[in-house]
Amino acid sequence: MKGKISRVEKISVQNVTFTYGSEGVDGSAPEEPAVENLSLEIEKGSYTAILGANGSGKSTLAKLIDVIEVPDSGKIIVFGKDTSDDSVFWQIREKSTCVFQNPDNQIVGTIVEEDVAFGPENLGVRLPELRERVDQALKDVGIYDLRLREASSLSGGQKQKLAIAGALAMKPDVLILDEATAMLDPKSRDEFLAVCEDMRLKKGLTLITITHDMSEAMRSGRIIIISEGHAAAEGTPAHIFADINVEQYGLRRPVAVRFAYEIAKLAGKHLTEEDLTGEAELREKLIKIFTASDLSAGNVPELKPVDPDYRVRRKIMSVKDLFSSYDGGKTFALKNINLDVFEGEILGIVGESGCGKTTLISHMNSIMKPSSGEIEIYPEEGKTLLCSKKGDVQQIRQTVGLVFQYPEYQLFEESVFKDICYGLRKMKLSAEEQKDRAVMAAKSVGLEKEVLRKNPFDLSGGQKRRAAMAGVLAMRPRVLVLDEPASGLDPEGREEMFALIKTLRDKGTTIVIVSHNMDEAAAYCDRICCIKDGEAVICETPDELFADKAKLHMIGIDQPKITKFSSSLKDELKKSMPEIVFEKALFEPEEEARAVYRAVLKARQKC
Amino acid sequence: MLNNISLGRYYKADSLLHRTDPRVKTLLYLVYLVVIFLIKSPFALFALGLVIVVQLFMAKVSAPVVWKTISPVLPLSVFIMILNLLTIKQGNVVFNWKMITVTDYGFTRASLMGIRLIFLILSTSLMLTLTTTPLKIADALESLFSPLKIIKVPVHEMAMMMSIALRFIPTLIEETDKIMKAQVSRGADYDTGSFLNRIKGYITVLIPLFVSSFRRAEELAVAMDARCYRGGVGRTKLNPLKIKSTDILVGLFLAVCAAGLVVMDLTLR
Repeated sequence: MKGKISRVEKISVQNVTFTYGSEGVDGSAPEEPAVENLSLEIEKGSYTAILGANGSGKSTLAKLIDVIEVPDSGKIIVFGKDTSDDSVFWQIREKSTCVFQNPDNQIVGTIVEEDVAFGPENLGVRLPELRERVDQALKDVGIYDLRLREASSLSGGQKQKLAIAGALAMKPDVLILDEATAMLDPKSRDEFLAVCEDMRLKKGLTLITITHDMSEAMRSGRIIIISEGHAAAEGTPAHIFADINVEQYGLRRPVAVRFAYEIAKLAGKHLTEEDLTGEAELREKLIKIFTASDLSAGNVPELKPVDPDYRVRRKIMSVKDLFSSYDGGKTFALKNINLDVFEGEILGIVGESGCGKTTLISHMNSIMKPSSGEIEIYPEEGKTLLCSKKGDVQQIRQTVGLVFQYPEYQLFEESVFKDICYGLRKMKLSAEEQKDRAVMAAKSVGLEKEVLRKNPFDLSGGQKRRAAMAGVLAMRPRVLVLDEPASGLDPEGREEMFALIKTLRDKGTTIVIVSHNMDEAAAYCDRICCIKDGEAVICETPDELFADKAKLHMIGIDQPKITKFSSSLKDELKKSMPEIVFEKALFEPEEEARAVYRAVLKARQKC
Repeated sequence: MLNNISLGRYYKADSLLHRTDPRVKTLLYLVYLVVIFLIKSPFALFALGLVIVVQLFMAKVSAPVVWKTISPVLPLSVFIMILNLLTIKQGNVVFNWKMITVTDYGFTRASLMGIRLIFLILSTSLMLTLTTTPLKIADALESLFSPLKIIKVPVHEMAMMMSIALRFIPTLIEETDKIMKAQVSRGADYDTGSFLNRIKGYITVLIPLFVSSFRRAEELAVAMDARCYRGGVGRTKLNPLKIKSTDILVGLFLAVCAAGLVVMDLTLR
């Protein structure tokens, strides 16, 4: 029965336009509206994902619903109450809660339970009830045992759970997650979402999640795409990914869907909304395509030339029996790491948050000294630099460039040019040389010459990150080490970042990337080194690593999503075509789709 | 690089001083502040040291934590000692070489100043930061200063600002560490070069730190807004302050110690 939903049962945004004042959040272009003519409706108790590129106005929408901002024009009615009505404004805010991206910037209390209590204390909830609410909220998210811990000592995942507990203690109707999972590793991300989804079902919450992660969006009941401040498309995930060209909004389809689309394209078939309702349905459809009598021989592009095996190349860095301790030998952050880096490769270092990845790369650049063991760097044939040797430190820092996570937060000069030159000045190069190198470095990260004169704080987020990278590249390092280079970027930004990294590699820089995103590590790295509890458990090429499921389970890492989906399809295909032989696994969805397609064609020819 | 500074950091333990009402501790802190600056005789200073040792046991603070607390101020303490040693010309000369004159009075005075500073840091940490969470300190101040609300002093707001400032100390230390590491990896050097150059080096750390603090402040303000913060009016407390008999006993005991120290000092002078 499809009746009209009453006003009281929904959040309704009607023709809303909103511009940040002159004191706008990041001070950039205040005259441009963040949200323009935005209209949408969200049903009570529903699960909605809001997607959009960086700067599309998604977070502003969250603030408007939570009455942190009030629209310049248009109306927002939350369950029958108008947000511009001062008399009900506190009631709306009390019932809508937000969890934001950066866990550190939303914790008010020092002790876990004091922080959870902050909201209800503000509401004036009195004591026996206040204590009950706090305890219940902590139990609901599963961190009751940590209630007396210092909040700053929690892990990222625990801090975000603390933030949900703080929201739940206010007994809200609406829970908005504003990129709340962006800084979490995949495991904490899953746990976090599971808690939120569970609370939605148990407490009848309206769950709104603002995200860049397409697989996260697939979990929702409905997707709304925001582009340039207005709602560009909406519908079920199946509808959105089947019928809407999401790439025009700076988004990408989930990997399984990209894979299926490529196969459908090669076969000249179309995917419908029904095919996309779940992975099982999608698999079934693909089997149907493959086993159909009229399977088109298609025009399957040949396999891209495979990257050479870098392990036969010259070693450029060698980590030998590395131990590292923060407390003089009681506990070790790194235990017996042995690792070789070969010239010209992209090496991925993966592992859960807190496993020691960042500590390892800090040693590579001699910022941290090993407790025992050594890192040897060979900038050229026959020359060895030792990380533990004081005299070599300066040369090491020029040979190995290190770009930390969120490097844009570390810009400090008044112009991009000066910032890029910082390291060059420390190298005491001539002004001419500095200028040449800075211009070249800016060009290599894709920044225009005019940008050099600008103040770094006036750039967009992505540009800032590139400027910060240029500052390291200008020193012409032989090895570039990047800590989570794509974090916080939207899908298009991520793709561009990795394309940039590949270009740098092709020009001769050896790359080491730290990441917790298995999909990207598999797709872009030549070899992957897994760190677990401070030990390097394995170091192999992606296809070797991800082929053995049992081994992966033992190390505690997940297969990339594309491999998971593709191998389940391959298992099905084997049942109907026992003689089929598959090529080795590829990790870009389109490439893998073509490989599977080729295998099926060959198998059918044999019959 | 900055991880081992524990100045201003809460030390989690279950001790008598940890459980004591923060208002009592704040008042005691003020009392000892005065006492530390009143005492002039070495014996009384020694007795004060003993009282601080007793406080250490009452707070169950371990030796490494004590060391971490005082080690950052040791250089300053030594600096003050040397300054006093070289500038005080009263008393009998015990050492004289070129421009440098050291007197016995100067020596006692210098040691007094140096030790005072260490005691000051220790007792501040013991009475307040190590044993009391920032929110409790803020609570205590809010409660102690609440009479000032009558003359429109924004007591609650000030207490809230203070507690947030304290809560962000570890976060900002972490951030500073990150920024310094990033700059060191680009060839920065904070430890060598002329004094002026070193100061300049720190400016490059301070700018990104300031920018990020403003960003954090902005985000925190939004988060607090979202959690319905609207000032002190009508706010309740999860752990309201309540004076127990042990609080009174602890207060009395340490106050009597303080009085004893002052009397001892006055009689010995």
